Amino acid sequence: MKKIAAGVLCAALTAASMSVPVLADSGEMVLYTWEGMFPQEVLDGFEEETGIKIVYSNFDTDETMLEKLSMAKGGDYDVIIADDYILENVIQEGLAEKLDKEKLTGFENINPLYQGQFYDPDDEYIVPYGAGIPLIVYDPEMVDIEIKGYADLWDPSLEDSIALTANYRVINGITNLTLGKSMNEEDVDSIRETGEKLLELAPNIRLIQDDNTQNALLSGEASVAFLYTSQVTAALAENPDLKVVYPEEGLGFGIMGMFIASDAPNKDAAYQFVDYILKPDVAAQCFDYIGYYCTNKAADDSVNPDLVVPDSVTSGEIVQNVSQEAEEQYSKNWTEFRAACD
Amino acid sequence: MSRRRRDSGSVWMILPLYFFTLIFVAGPLIYMVALSFAVPNETHGVNWAFTLDNYRRILDPVYLDTFAQSFRLAVTSTVIICLLGYPFGYFMARMEPGRKKKAMLFLMLPFWVNSLIRLYGWIIILQNKGLLNYILKALGIIEKPMKILYSYPAIVVGMVYVLLPFMILSVYSSAEKLDWSLIEAARDLGASRTKAFWTITFKLTIPGLLSGIILTFIPSMGLFFIADILGGNKIVLVGSLIQEQMTRGSNWPFAAALAVVLMALTTAMIILYRKITNVKELEGIG
Repeated sequence: MKKIAAGVLCAALTAASMSVPVLADSGEMVLYTWEGMFPQEVLDGFEEETGIKIVYSNFDTDETMLEKLSMAKGGDYDVIIADDYILENVIQEGLAEKLDKEKLTGFENINPLYQGQFYDPDDEYIVPYGAGIPLIVYDPEMVDIEIKGYADLWDPSLEDSIALTANYRVINGITNLTLGKSMNEEDVDSIRETGEKLLELAPNIRLIQDDNTQNALLSGEASVAFLYTSQVTAALAENPDLKVVYPEEGLGFGIMGMFIASDAPNKDAAYQFVDYILKPDVAAQCFDYIGYYCTNKAADDSVNPDLVVPDSVTSGEIVQNVSQEAEEQYSKNWTEFRAACD
Repeated sequence: MSRRRRDSGSVWMILPLYFFTLIFVAGPLIYMVALSFAVPNETHGVNWAFTLDNYRRILDPVYLDTFAQSFRLAVTSTVIICLLGYPFGYFMARMEPGRKKKAMLFLMLPFWVNSLIRLYGWIIILQNKGLLNYILKALGIIEKPMKILYSYPAIVVGMVYVLLPFMILSVYSSAEKLDWSLIEAARDLGASRTKAFWTITFKLTIPGLLSGIILTFIPSMGLFFIADILGGNKIVLVGSLIQEQMTRGSNWPFAAALAVVLMALTTAMIILYRKITNVKELEGIG
């Protein structure tokens, strides 16, 4: 009796450890991403329309996703959403399906601003799903000049009045952009020059902070702020009179991308799901919910207008990993800059 | 005596303590020192090759300066804490028992609230539209609000505020043990109040003052969240540099090297205190 019980237990355990995503057969589809990436109405809507049941499986970090997908050799999961930098590894390791665009009627809806990125230069694998863009926000009542781009942050009239987020690669990156260089400049001497330019910004800095940076702007402690997307939205919700600047030098952004696993067990369902999300009204619902910039051009009219980048903005670049030497110089620039702010 | 103790089996009683120390104190320390000689990977993690580059990098003036900044802030705060904390602790020890209890309660009360929250309270006081500016304006001392928050003085206020109780308590505990009849005797023999204070009271409370200094100076070398919250991250302390290298920079070896140097410095300072003062009964190092 004991033996049988043990055997049953063993079998149950094995089944449990294997079965999480594999369960899915014809009527199901496994969606693998962070928690809370879709509003419930959208998931329900898809199930109603197609009869396909969604199994929502989530990960905490991109690295976990890569590891699991890699172990499953591109199987087990159908549709996956992850961050830009990890997408490059996913594609290189052959874990993403080369998209059959015949099956994606909504592929044309994607905003070209977010296409042709380093991880997928020919747009063969990835459907962008939301972008995070750090932007300049300012209080026009407290600022005498009109801010159009990053270069205006150096204006002497802004002495001791800028709140900055603390991502040193991004801050070095926008300094690079004002000097006409790439955000991901690799040449150490050139990065050193960036550092000198950055030092000139120091007198204008009121504070540097990563969390709730918008509060400094809202409380009048700073009159200009360089904020992450969620902070921009929070600031505008509190004070709609604030002005958002889409810098003329170009944007720096982070993109989340959706792809189909190369050996997805329910490939047809996966295509149906991706195409469903590409529908303008569904996309608008999604971006309103997650609060990231809309990457679906056709949805621009129906989504929260604060999440639409105006047509005048034509270029953007993703912050990528650079060589160790370049990274060290960027970090040194940053330390020097912070010390000069006092 | 020692033989008897060993025989009575007390070794077994302290064995868990040894294990605890080995695993939770020595283990991480050894790991950190080893890490400080490793090579960072391009993206994440480390290569276990031997290099001195991490230490060489610290010699860069940019990074040496962070040690100088930390030291300057620690000294400034400690001096102010001494000036405020010593008289406070001294007079508290001289209070009547009932008042003493009340004073102690008020001193401990803030500890019931998380120190981060208390620091956010300081933001409300110091900000542009904050309480302090409001009062100064109402009194007609200033016309336009001063930018107090996110400045050096704001950081010092925060440091003093957080660490002051440690000084007060250690001065208090040594002043309380003081035999007041010694002072009476000195006064009877014709010493002035000041003379009696400096030759007797002060000398006998030096251990309390010094342990207070250690309790405030050592942590203030590492407390960087105050500079983040009240100083707007505008001065770079070793602590915040270490944190940044651990997280954004993902350069653990460099962070470890910085931590090793910081620890060596603070240890050296404790030894120095000990040498200078020859007081062996300071908390923790007696």
